[in-house]
Amino acid sequence: MLRIEGLNKGYGDRSVLQDLSLAIAPGEIYGLLGPNGAGKTTTINIICNLLKADRGLVEIDGQPISRATQRLIGIAPQENLLYRSLTCTENLNFFARIYGLSRQTRLKQVRYCLEAVNLSDRAHSPVETLSGGMQRRLSIAIALVHQPRLVILDEPTTGLDIEARYEIWELIRQLRHQGITVLLTTHLLEEAERLCQRIGILKGGRLLAEGTLPELQRHIPATEIAIVKTTEEERAIDRALTYGYTPRRYGSDLAFWLPQAMELTQILQCFQGISLDSVCRQPVRLEHIYIEVTQFGCDAETIDRSADRQNRYD
Amino acid sequence: MKYWQEALAVAQRILLELCRRQRSLFLWVMFPVFVLLLNGYILADQPQATLRGAFEAAAPMTLVGAALFFSCLGGTIATVVSEREQKTLKRLFLTPLSGLSYFFGIFMAHSCIGIGQALLVYTSAAFLQARFNGSLWLGGFIILLSITIYVGLGFTLGTQVARRIEDVNALVAAFGVPLLMLGGAFVPLSFLPTPLRQIAKYNPVYHMNEALTGVSAAGDGVSAIAPHLYFLIGFALLMVISSGLAYRQMLTLERRL
Repeated sequence: MLRIEGLNKGYGDRSVLQDLSLAIAPGEIYGLLGPNGAGKTTTINIICNLLKADRGLVEIDGQPISRATQRLIGIAPQENLLYRSLTCTENLNFFARIYGLSRQTRLKQVRYCLEAVNLSDRAHSPVETLSGGMQRRLSIAIALVHQPRLVILDEPTTGLDIEARYEIWELIRQLRHQGITVLLTTHLLEEAERLCQRIGILKGGRLLAEGTLPELQRHIPATEIAIVKTTEEERAIDRALTYGYTPRRYGSDLAFWLPQAMELTQILQCFQGISLDSVCRQPVRLEHIYIEVTQFGCDAETIDRSADRQNRYD
Repeated sequence: MKYWQEALAVAQRILLELCRRQRSLFLWVMFPVFVLLLNGYILADQPQATLRGAFEAAAPMTLVGAALFFSCLGGTIATVVSEREQKTLKRLFLTPLSGLSYFFGIFMAHSCIGIGQALLVYTSAAFLQARFNGSLWLGGFIILLSITIYVGLGFTLGTQVARRIEDVNALVAAFGVPLLMLGGAFVPLSFLPTPLRQIAKYNPVYHMNEALTGVSAAGDGVSAIAPHLYFLIGFALLMVISSGLAYRQMLTLERRL
């Protein structure tokens, strides 16, 4: 559905995208992750024909980017860009008309989109009376109103409460069931983990890692991670290294990669004699992979597990 | 067909938004009536003036100088700036909406408002014995040319100069008040000294005022108002071209997420 090959974009001396290549299959939900300034929005701007690339190819449904391909894309931007004094129906109807939908199709699509985002009961409410979550759902409905093949959701749940977030997640899953391809950008790794079939991690305009969650998990050669709380961190690290556990810091948490599945007693044995406040095990999650990839550019094949370990921790 | 549909959608949306702001709508209705009454009674107070003659002269100057100026020029700037502030302009850039359709949508919406104000001003003047003495078609054409000029100028200023809603007042005051004074909208041109009257000849408001006064008050035909009409047609074309260029420039600068 979407094919990007060797995409480059720079502003003056600053390179924003460097040889970016990715492909999204029809009906797939693809998560594009990366820190601020990684190049996600520039990529979206180029896909939406709002910005010209310096080099590279972007194709949607086999067609190079043009004004015509704009009709194949529906986008829900980060902010809810809505006409606040108009009702939900009026907003949808306006955008449907801009996309040239006939009266009959328009009526059908407006009704369908309101149902899809669960806003039928607020169809005639002005946007300014809707909650943030409802406005975000309406924004997604506008992205869908002209029956696009590719939907781009730019941080769709940022700033929403947990209930609104669950509603949006359910909506995104429904899109997939309807065969709509979704490109999702988010800073919420849990969101990408729950929704996306494949994930790409972008930093400095380069795609550092890409794949399904199990494929990405190979970037961390561990089956589990132990989070240890102790006042004797130095001793704990030294001890862990002798056991072959790789130390990492995730925020304020001190963590160790466990090379194989272990009982809690085996882990405790490693730290015997060290004063521990708590130890907990957790599976390798996207959060850990993301930090590994964006901070260390880690690659499963190139990890030097013995020599580099302490450097990485520091 | 595509452009027509898009323009119609934009126009309907602007009118719908205006209808939602009922207080604004009420003020847009009251403003020209108040200005008409003021202008009419001031002119009626002149020696040898009749009430009918005063209101026949006051109606065109009130319409082009006050009503259309604020609704079509100020209104267009406000529409563009409010879209920019609400960021809905960015959303529109994501759609296949063309600049031409966007401009004509704004023009159509403000034409509806302008035609409504024209009906209101002339109906109010009629209650005070004034009559429209010339060709209605010619009068209507001059009103449409005036709306085109105001919308074009407002679109250019709105896209190029005004960044925030506070800028609208400043722009209308800075550009508007001198243009209105020099256009004979509030003070008859005969009150102005000769050098200012010479400058006024380059002011579109002056030509709108003279042309419409000629047609509606004196019953002039095309030949009598030809110089004003040519100026207005030329200026209207210039404003449409300027709007197109302004939209293109805005796209280059702001068409980003």
